[in-house]
Amino acid sequence: MATFELYRRSTIGMCLTETLDEMVSNGTLSPELAIQVLVQFDKSMTEALESQVKSKVSIKGHLHTYRFCDNVWTFILQDALFKNEDTQETVNRVKIVACDSKLLSQ
Amino acid sequence: MAEEGGLEGSQPVDLSKHPSGIVPTLQDVEVNIFGIIMCNIFFDILDLVIEYLRNIVSTVNLDCKLDLKQIALQARNAEYNPKRFAAVIMRIREPKTTALIFASGKMVCTGAKSEQQSKLAARKYARIIQKLGFPAKFKDFKIQNIVGSCDVKFPIRLEGLAYSHGAFSSYEPELFPGLIYRMKQPKIVLLIFVSGKIVITGAKVRDETYTAFENIYPVLTEFRKNQQW
Repeated sequence: MATFELYRRSTIGMCLTETLDEMVSNGTLSPELAIQVLVQFDKSMTEALESQVKSKVSIKGHLHTYRFCDNVWTFILQDALFKNEDTQETVNRVKIVACDSKLLSQ
Repeated sequence: MAEEGGLEGSQPVDLSKHPSGIVPTLQDVEVNIFGIIMCNIFFDILDLVIEYLRNIVSTVNLDCKLDLKQIALQARNAEYNPKRFAAVIMRIREPKTTALIFASGKMVCTGAKSEQQSKLAARKYARIIQKLGFPAKFKDFKIQNIVGSCDVKFPIRLEGLAYSHGAFSSYEPELFPGLIYRMKQPKIVLLIFVSGKIVITGAKVRDETYTAFENIYPVLTEFRKNQQW
């Protein structure tokens, strides 16, 4: 199954990458195995977000910029209001990068 | 842009050009309150019908080959999905327009409310392309279509109109609620609705929309529907 490497830039992904880097540099892990772990991370994130996350968030703001290229949407929102069931928060500037998960199954 | 709009709005009304009493105005916000008040005064005194320009379509040749993917990646507010359409779709906010930019360097600009705004927008797109490093020129700018609309403020008997102007009319209420009137001179298409709202399209110059309306207005009054209460 093909995956997006999108989630490697998330906090959890960055932490994992840092740890793997450290382990590779002090010799506890081979670079090949580290890559394999990252690929597994991509798969697991995709699966987990698909099957285990039930909460919904709405994002509403002024669309400053959009782009669609190579099947990736990029949006820059200003004064975006993030809302979920019990809390809301306004963010001055937010960048959304969105890929079409249907493309993975093709 | 504000100045241009303002100028447009405050141009003196040449009534000799509008015997039926159409005073054309632009639909822009820039037409401003002054323009609207002026129109309202004339409307009250002379029972005018105001025609709005709704959309202008123009084309221009940038006269250089373009790498659409590079444009889509670098420019803001661009869409490029070569599987669906072989052009970059780009938008700007002022004048609020959309451009289709093709790899050949040809460009289509839509959505402007006046000829000047359409040209200004096309120039802005050309500038964006230049800034991305392409040797874009600005060749053969041409207005391809002008769409106007107005409201004669009385209902119209479309069946009667279609019957007596059969050669020009197509009225199929099951397909489309408006009557499609293909005028021969000038060669303009009008969409006429029961409500008295009219859409005039197919013009290359603004005056053709005015002439078309001057031609059709007496016909509309002839087929004015008598209000039944």
